[in-house]
Amino acid sequence: MKAFALLRPSTAAGAVKALAEGGAVAHAVALKANGIDLLDRMKERVDEPERVVSLTSATGLSELTARGDGSLTIGALVTLQMLADSADVQRLAPSLAKAAGLAASPQLRRRATLGGNLAQHTRCGYYRHLSFSCLKRGAEACPVRAETGVQDTAGIFGNSVCASAHPSSVAPVLGSLGAVVHVEGPGGVRVVPFPDLWAQPERGRASDLSLAAGDVITAIEIPPLPGSMGFGYEEVRVKAAFDWALVSAAVRIHGGAGKVSGGSIWLGSVAPTPLRAVAAEALLSGSVTEALAEKVGAAAAEGATPLAGTTYKVQLVKVAVKRALLEAAGRPA
Amino acid sequence: MPSVTYKAGGEGLERELTVEIHEQDATPWGADAVLRLVGGEHPRPDGPAKATGAARYTYDVARPRLAYAGSLLCPYAHARLKDIDEAGARAVPGVLDVRVNRGEYRHAGQAVAVVCAENEHALGDGLRALKATYEVLPAAVTVEDALKPGAAEVEPGKGNREVDARRGRQGDPGAFAKAFEASAVQVEAEFRTQIQTHSAFEPHGSLSDPGSGGEAVVFASTQATSAFQGLGRNLGLDGPARVIADHVGGGFGAKFGPMSGDQAAAEFARKLQRPVKYMCTRREEHLVGGNRPDSIQRLKLGGTKDGEITAFGGVSDGTAGNGTGGAGAANTIVYRLGAQDMEQGAVRTFTARGAAFRAPGHPQGSFALEGMLDLYAAKAGLDPLEVRRKNDRHPLRALQWQIGAEKLGWSTWRKTKPGAGKGPVKRGVGCAAARWGNPGGGKWNVEVAIARDASVTVRNAAQDIGTGTKSVLQIVVAEELGCDLARVNVTIADTRFPPGPGSGGSTTAPSLAPAAREAGLRAREQLEGLLAVEWSTEPSKVRLEKGLFRGPGGKKASFEEACGLIGEQGLSVTGQRRDNWKSADGLGETAGCQFAQVAVDVETGVVRVERVVAVHDCGRVINALSARNQVNGGVIQGISYALFEERRLDRAQGDMVNPTLDTYRITGMADCPTIDVVLTSVVSGFNNMGVMGLGEPATVPTAAAVAGAVFHATGAQVRELPMTPDRVLAALARRPS
Repeated sequence: MKAFALLRPSTAAGAVKALAEGGAVAHAVALKANGIDLLDRMKERVDEPERVVSLTSATGLSELTARGDGSLTIGALVTLQMLADSADVQRLAPSLAKAAGLAASPQLRRRATLGGNLAQHTRCGYYRHLSFSCLKRGAEACPVRAETGVQDTAGIFGNSVCASAHPSSVAPVLGSLGAVVHVEGPGGVRVVPFPDLWAQPERGRASDLSLAAGDVITAIEIPPLPGSMGFGYEEVRVKAAFDWALVSAAVRIHGGAGKVSGGSIWLGSVAPTPLRAVAAEALLSGSVTEALAEKVGAAAAEGATPLAGTTYKVQLVKVAVKRALLEAAGRPA
Repeated sequence: MPSVTYKAGGEGLERELTVEIHEQDATPWGADAVLRLVGGEHPRPDGPAKATGAARYTYDVARPRLAYAGSLLCPYAHARLKDIDEAGARAVPGVLDVRVNRGEYRHAGQAVAVVCAENEHALGDGLRALKATYEVLPAAVTVEDALKPGAAEVEPGKGNREVDARRGRQGDPGAFAKAFEASAVQVEAEFRTQIQTHSAFEPHGSLSDPGSGGEAVVFASTQATSAFQGLGRNLGLDGPARVIADHVGGGFGAKFGPMSGDQAAAEFARKLQRPVKYMCTRREEHLVGGNRPDSIQRLKLGGTKDGEITAFGGVSDGTAGNGTGGAGAANTIVYRLGAQDMEQGAVRTFTARGAAFRAPGHPQGSFALEGMLDLYAAKAGLDPLEVRRKNDRHPLRALQWQIGAEKLGWSTWRKTKPGAGKGPVKRGVGCAAARWGNPGGGKWNVEVAIARDASVTVRNAAQDIGTGTKSVLQIVVAEELGCDLARVNVTIADTRFPPGPGSGGSTTAPSLAPAAREAGLRAREQLEGLLAVEWSTEPSKVRLEKGLFRGPGGKKASFEEACGLIGEQGLSVTGQRRDNWKSADGLGETAGCQFAQVAVDVETGVVRVERVVAVHDCGRVINALSARNQVNGGVIQGISYALFEERRLDRAQGDMVNPTLDTYRITGMADCPTIDVVLTSVVSGFNNMGVMGLGEPATVPTAAAVAGAVFHATGAQVRELPMTPDRVLAALARRPS
């Protein structure tokens, strides 16, 4: 990788300041948590920052706090393994613990942070290797969309400009839990609702976050989730060991299997950003039967625009949503 | 030449065999030989070093003033260089030298330029500064694209397809057509297998050190230390270079001679008079480190209603990249197939060369051949195992089928109808066969030295690519000497030692173990001679029994006491690998078979292998632990081939989209099934050990057995590897309802 200056501020505010020095030019400075994704990109020279601002010395970002009201505040540097192992997370947001525990490999889960997981870039092979052109890296068109492109892991929604698929499997879970994101930036501290965290792909824009280059995610907060909730998470992947999901689905429902009154459904690995399945959510009412779960799954897949190599992922969306819903209703398939 | 009669074979296939052996050779151990160490379970001597990280691989070797070299890889299947900023790269701080390879590039990954630098970061900066631009030329990177009319030709004027030089066209077209027409049951199908890249833990690479006044030396990650000696020329030496490969991070057939990067590094080393290391990056390894050619096999099989195959034929096309060698599929072996007509086509594409890969041609051929047998059995309403047994021609495999079927519970499993049971997960079983057979050879010498302190050293230039060669030599020598295993240090993989074979074709153990045995015997005779002098008796009256040397009058000495009689200069002897016995009847073909049990999620198309029973023959087993390890590895790699591995190229550009170990999927621990290994020990009649190789056959039948199990579980036959969810769902959708 290219040589860089490493800055290790002791606070999040210090990180914001360090990012701003030199004008926070997107490509010249990079924010690093534990570096799982960033270092990969730097080794491939997809990223060649002159300055790397590391959060690892910043205090107060590794805390996982469960409050009496049932809310959870998860510091940006909390690792996926901490989420998977936390009794509080298992109790209050079991779908989050499940998704975190399935991610990557045992070694990576112990290093990968929640903030870093949200900020990771697409795994699209065209984006990840300089030998290919890529819209996210400034090319005019996305080569995945071409008839000659390799498409098997590409997105099936919102793929008209860029066919990437957002790789995070915990992100759809956070979406389903109604999480908000605490962000510290040059203008101070603010709270960003989860749906607003994401930006649609555009030419030359590598990050999938709507945040500015000088912004730092400090924590993710999950609001109090009153009783009588059901949580489900399902992912489909080729390998059991260390693999990326082909499709993931997170479901949260109000009420139990007998009587559901609304809920939230988010999908992962199907679009450039985590995707809320609004049409499917609208069907969340009444008794959760296999038939309802099928219907909700089918609704989640509506409007998909798969490429020739990704038509199979439509079926995976249907199944993942169906199974996540049945799990949320306490009657796994 | 002495004539010896002994009991060869095993597992009920014993027979008296009379062979002429070399007068220096050890008397063969028969099937009834009682041995102290050989055949037991022994942890390999380098295990702790490997497990703790102390083992030093070529990648780990550091030398004073070490420089690093690496290549700029062409990102297009076919291109010419337009511009390159060589001066810009030379101006990068830390860059020591730059070499540009001008001309036409005929595959992605071809080295456009090689840079040598003070450290890896400067190397990366130098490569980045080259800013090469290309004129992109027409190309075809898949078999189908290369066979289209008007496709760009890899070798202009020659066309892209040739009938494969090695396997070619076999059989009798007329006889096949007649037999197929006449057969009561006919099946036709097309099978496809993918390109599998070599993905050893340690990529290709070497370190060339000109020695700066001292001795020049090359460290290499190789399957043949001898093949790297030629780098001496690149290093500017008068003769071959000394080559060391203490530990090798895997080799499956693609790590023999130096690659262009190794040669460039040696030349930089010569020019700069400092050591230079070249290790392929993971992307480079995937692109140019060798691969198993793919195949499209269009096959026909005819048979009787009761399971006898009477006709088998078809056409296979595969690509071994921009060459043609090795593209055939071994799809006509193992079984009696009646009248045959098989053509093996090799298709040139604008991709990097294929390479030998653990049983070249076999897994792809096995997948299609066994798939045809499964189809035939299904159409004829027969048990797939019975069809195999009926057409098998190896006496040992008859026993192996039985062992495997009983262990797995085949007959109970097969009562399950495809798709039976509640829920989306369906289970089934399949089976497939392997054959191999190479008794090794070559006139290799193994040296055994013993010091007065009873330390034993075994020396040979051959490498241990992870298969347990060090353990094999240690066990055989300790067996002959009657000493503890721990007394024997195996120092191999250095060309200063007596020459040894390359590790390919599953031949290292059968090529070296007989020489090690002879060397051990020679050394023991020397100890017996010293004891004879000490005891004032004839050497023939000193015998090694139950770990003690015994002489007339109740005299006895331990191995350590005997070694105390050795002079200060120590003792050193050499044993030679004698020619394979011509008089042997030879069970020259080893047999194997595997059974797989799978779970298929019919809603997602995800396949998990739950159990594999692998029954294999490797002649005499030397170390049961490392032999089982070989089979485990073969099965795991076979599962990887069945379900996961696949080189994905952009069809327009020809570059690889998944050149990393997270996107090029390889079996991980959580994907490993329960593996039952059964070794049927049949002493081959070729050499004093009766040992045969095992590395390759163990990976041959796995994918086919897994595919058969998926077919049984679901009623849908997946005819394309790897069996990923998209392909499994497509096969399920085609299944007749």
